[in-house]
Formats: sequence, C-alpha cells, structure tokens
Amino acid sequence: MKRMLAFISAILLFLGVDLVVAPKAASQTNQTAPKTEVVHVGILQMMTHPALDQIHQGVVAGLKEEGLTTGKNLKIDFLNAQGDQSNLKTMSQQLANKDSLLVGIATPAAQALANSAPKTTPIILAGISTPATSGLVKSEAHPGGNITGTSGLNPVTKQFELMHAVMPHAKKIGIIYTSSDHGGQTNAHAFARVVKQAGLIPKLYTISNTNDLQQVASQMVSQVDMVYAPQDNGVASAMKTLVNVANNVNIPVFPCAETMVPDGGLASYVISQKEMGRVAGVMAAKVLRGKNPATYPVATVKSGYYMINKKEMRKLHIKIPAAIMRAASQHGKVIK
Amino acid sequence: MNLITSSIGQGLLWALLGIALFLTFRILNFADMTVEGTFPLGAAITVTAITKGVSPLVATLLGFLGGAAGGLITGLLYTKGKIPILLAGILVMTGCLSVNLRIMGGSNVSLLGQKTFFSAKIFQSLPRYFDSVLIGGGTIILITILIALFLETDLGQAFIVTGDNQMMARSLGINTDNMTILGLSLSNGLVGLAGALIAQSNGYADANMGIGIIVIALASIIIGEVVFGYLTLNQRLIAVILGSIIYRFVLLIVLQLGFSTNDLNLISAIILAVCLMLPTLRHALKLDGILRKGVSQYGK
Repeated sequence: MKRMLAFISAILLFLGVDLVVAPKAASQTNQTAPKTEVVHVGILQMMTHPALDQIHQGVVAGLKEEGLTTGKNLKIDFLNAQGDQSNLKTMSQQLANKDSLLVGIATPAAQALANSAPKTTPIILAGISTPATSGLVKSEAHPGGNITGTSGLNPVTKQFELMHAVMPHAKKIGIIYTSSDHGGQTNAHAFARVVKQAGLIPKLYTISNTNDLQQVASQMVSQVDMVYAPQDNGVASAMKTLVNVANNVNIPVFPCAETMVPDGGLASYVISQKEMGRVAGVMAAKVLRGKNPATYPVATVKSGYYMINKKEMRKLHIKIPAAIMRAASQHGKVIK
Repeated sequence: MNLITSSIGQGLLWALLGIALFLTFRILNFADMTVEGTFPLGAAITVTAITKGVSPLVATLLGFLGGAAGGLITGLLYTKGKIPILLAGILVMTGCLSVNLRIMGGSNVSLLGQKTFFSAKIFQSLPRYFDSVLIGGGTIILITILIALFLETDLGQAFIVTGDNQMMARSLGINTDNMTILGLSLSNGLVGLAGALIAQSNGYADANMGIGIIVIALASIIIGEVVFGYLTLNQRLIAVILGSIIYRFVLLIVLQLGFSTNDLNLISAIILAVCLMLPTLRHALKLDGILRKGVSQYGK
C-alpha cells in the first residue's frame, strides 16, 4: 500500500511539474528547416513486408539524392510496429517528439503520425493507396495541412490490358483479397470496376487470413479463367499457395506487385515500390528546405514497367504477345 | 519529459482494458478471448458513428454497448450452449472481424478532421499529451469507483462468490450462469469502451487493431500484482491501473534504449514471463529474507 501511494504521488507530482514547465500546445513553434545542422527524420513503418521494406529503402535513397546522407547531415529514427497497432501511438509520439520531419509507411502508421504530431511538423506519406479517403489530406491536389507525400495507386487499367492481351478468350476473372486489408480491398474493387467496364465478369473472393487461402482459392479456380492478385499483404505473403492451386488447373495468376511475380505470378505491369519511396524521400528533402506541404500536391507514381515470368510461361504453355515481351526485356524485367 | 507524460496518458487509457480483463481473468477466473474482437468492435462502432455525425459521447456509449453485446453472446454460448469458455471467446472474436468490416464498410476508417473527445477546445491550451492524461484518468477513475461500488452490492458479492467457488455459490442460491453472463457483458462493455477511447486517441479504427491486446491487459494485471504485492480488492483495481502505466514505461525505456523494434514483442513477452515467475523465483532464491533483513546485514 505504501509503495502504491508513493508511486501515485510520484506520478501526480511529475504531471504537476510538467503541466507548469512544458510549453503550451498552442504556442509551440515550428522547428523545421534547420540550415546546416543534422536533420532528424523519423520513419514509422507498419510491419516488416517486402513491399514496405522497399518503400523504406526508397525513402532513404530519395533523401540521399537530395544531398541528405545518414552519418553526415541526416539522422534517421526508424521504428517498425511489427503489425501491432497498440504500439503505433507510443512510437509515433516518440518520433514526433524528436524529429523535424516524419515519414509514414502504410496507412495506420501514417494515421498515427498525423494524430500524434503537432500540426507544424511536416509528415510525408510513402505509398499510401488513398490518402484522401483515409482522411490524411483534404485532397490529393491541395493537401491543405502538414501532410503530403506519394500515393501508390495500382495501375489497374494497364494490368487489365496486359491480362486481356495475354488471355484474349478469358471471360471470368477471379480476384482474391483479405477482407481486413485496406489496400487489398481498395485495389480489388478498383480492378473489378475496370473488368466490368470492359464487358468481362469479375468474381470477387475474400479470405479472412492466409489460412483460408488454400480452400477459397480452390473454390475460385474452378469458376474462373484467370486470377488477379491485388496489392494485399495477406495474398502477397501466401502467393506461392495461390499459384500452386491455380497452376494445378492450368490457370495463370496475374499479380500486381513486384515481389509477387518471382513468387509465381505469370506477368504484370508494376509500379516500383522503391521508386515510390524515392519520390517520397525527394519530397521530404524539399519540404525540409522550406516547401509548404499544404500546397505541395500528392505525387502519384504512375509510370511502371512490365515483369514477365518465363518459368510460368513454360509451365502453363502460355504465349505472351511479342510487343509486350519486347517492352519487358527492354525496360522491364524478364525472370528466366 | 514529454514522452513520460505521453506514457502516463497511454497507460491510463489502456488501463481500462486491464480493469475489464481483471473482472473475468481474476474474479471469474477464466481467460476471455472475446476481448480481441470486442475491442475493435467498440472502436468500429464509435468511429463509424462519429463520421456519421453522432456526438462523441453518444458514439462512445454505443461502443460500450456493442462490446457488451459481444460479451453477452460469449456468455450465452458458454453457459447455455455449453461451449468451453476459451472456444466460446475465440468464436465470438472471430465473428467480430466480419461484423467490424460490415460496420466500417471497409477495414479502416479515419477520424482526422472529425470532432472527438480529444479535439475538444480545453485541450488546446494544455501542454501536449495532457488530453490523454485527463480523458484516460477521468474515465478510469470514474469506472474504477463504479466497479468498486458494484462489487460492494449484494449482486457484486454474488458475482465474486461465483468466481471463487461455483458449487458454494449455487448452494447459496446464486444463479451462477447469470453471474457469468453479467460478468462477461460488463467486462466486454468496458473493452468496447477502451476501444472507443483508444480509436479516438489514435485517430482511426482498423479491423486489425485487436491483435495482441490481451497481452497488454494481462501485463497490466500481472505487473500491478507483482509490483504492489498483497492488497485488498479495491487496492488491486488501482494496482491494475498503475501496472498499465508501468507497462508503458517499460515500452518507453525499451524504445529509448534503441532496441530494434523487431524485438519488441519478444522483450514484452520476456518481461511478462519474468513477472509471472517472480513469486516462484522469490521463494527459490529466498529474496524475501534478503529484502527483510536488508542487504548489508545479510552480507555480514
């Protein structure tokens, strides 16, 4: 009991002192744009995941490109929440407290940062699929606050065109995503709209986690002519399972992200995650030099490249149009 | 300085979860897995209601009711359906995921730019992080007093007896099934309330925000018990709150020491395991004797 009273008094005493000593929230001043000294940048990543890791590397590369190098004039504080959202708040406050610019990778991380940081600290989004509907910016053209960055909307039209060119007679396209994955859901529905507009039939399937994949995918491949795998953390990590199920009945899987093609996807038109991070890094450097995030539009990285998996082509006896093969070997990647 | 205040604020907000689990884990004597579903359920209901224009207070109460409904279902499955408690909890938790997705219409709903408890005008003039200290502190004090008063009533005493000894409770004419249902509803209502407040503090609700929260709740209970020793029932409630704050301090220290965040889960697991083993270790190493006599005396 004594210990308890002592602890409570210590906390109350501390809070009392902090209340008097700490500067008032409203009168806090902007600490951005230091001229010559070491710049502190905080990066908060939602979880360890190939795509997110690549965005992270891209951010560092982008900062370097603009003359900010770690060890010289840049100090990066990097925290990874490992998918545990209960830690996001503590982590984002920790970063908001010592860094003059914050970078959020994946939607919940960016939202936590936006909520913890004072309105004067700039926040750069890296690869958030829909910044406006996630409430992070007012609109993508005029962010209007302390937040801007890059958006990573998947080039669904291009991806559909590729699928249609490779499999012109296919009518039903299966789309599988994790029901609790924000990115996967957005991507899947956007793709389904494109399929419908083209007069084909999209068939949506959801899994609640990767354990369901085998069963739901087996059901799916018996009802469709080819499969589209959206930008979905769950599906991406269990890509091999999906490919096995589909290839058993000689159906190709067209993924949307770079990492999913070597895992057994047939072909895709992808945006480089690293590029998205790089652009975010460049934007971060410009904001540090004084550019106002409120009027700095969200950059959507649109240009991508073809990726083709020759192993899958041989396995499924599928031919890819020569024009696309050429484009892939010149500007994209062909996996042998 | 700032970060310590922030940890206290976070500790006070998450303490609600500890108190809620205390009712089922310590008083009724079983681990209720439902919380990993009702926590995001409370968050989902509240955040969706706020974005639809409902006032934060009403929205938060709806979050409480949503959580309570989840607990009620677990209670019915356990008592009337005769499903083992662990399984009943897991079933409701699993079902909640789909319900949450239906409520939110997606997996993530943002609160940025919406009116919440945390955006109230009074907090703008206070130093940073005092919003969570005041909201968390106010709520937890109110809830703890209400629970302490409830446990004093006849109903509350019957509730305690049910957890202590079901056979005896029944022989005293207590309907133990009803007590269990009541406890689960109340506990999960509080979990929903915690979800509602934490979603407002974080600025969003996400379908995956319940993952791992049972560890946080258990940590507050166990750390509180280990640090503060033998206490009366009401004091134990306070110990849970302080345990929750201490858990946040530990996380803060781990982060400040610059550990890789990849190791964070392992570190919290180790801390919990050590806390759980402490009574045994104390006995085995005769630490009590050392502490009582004083280290210097023992040395001689």
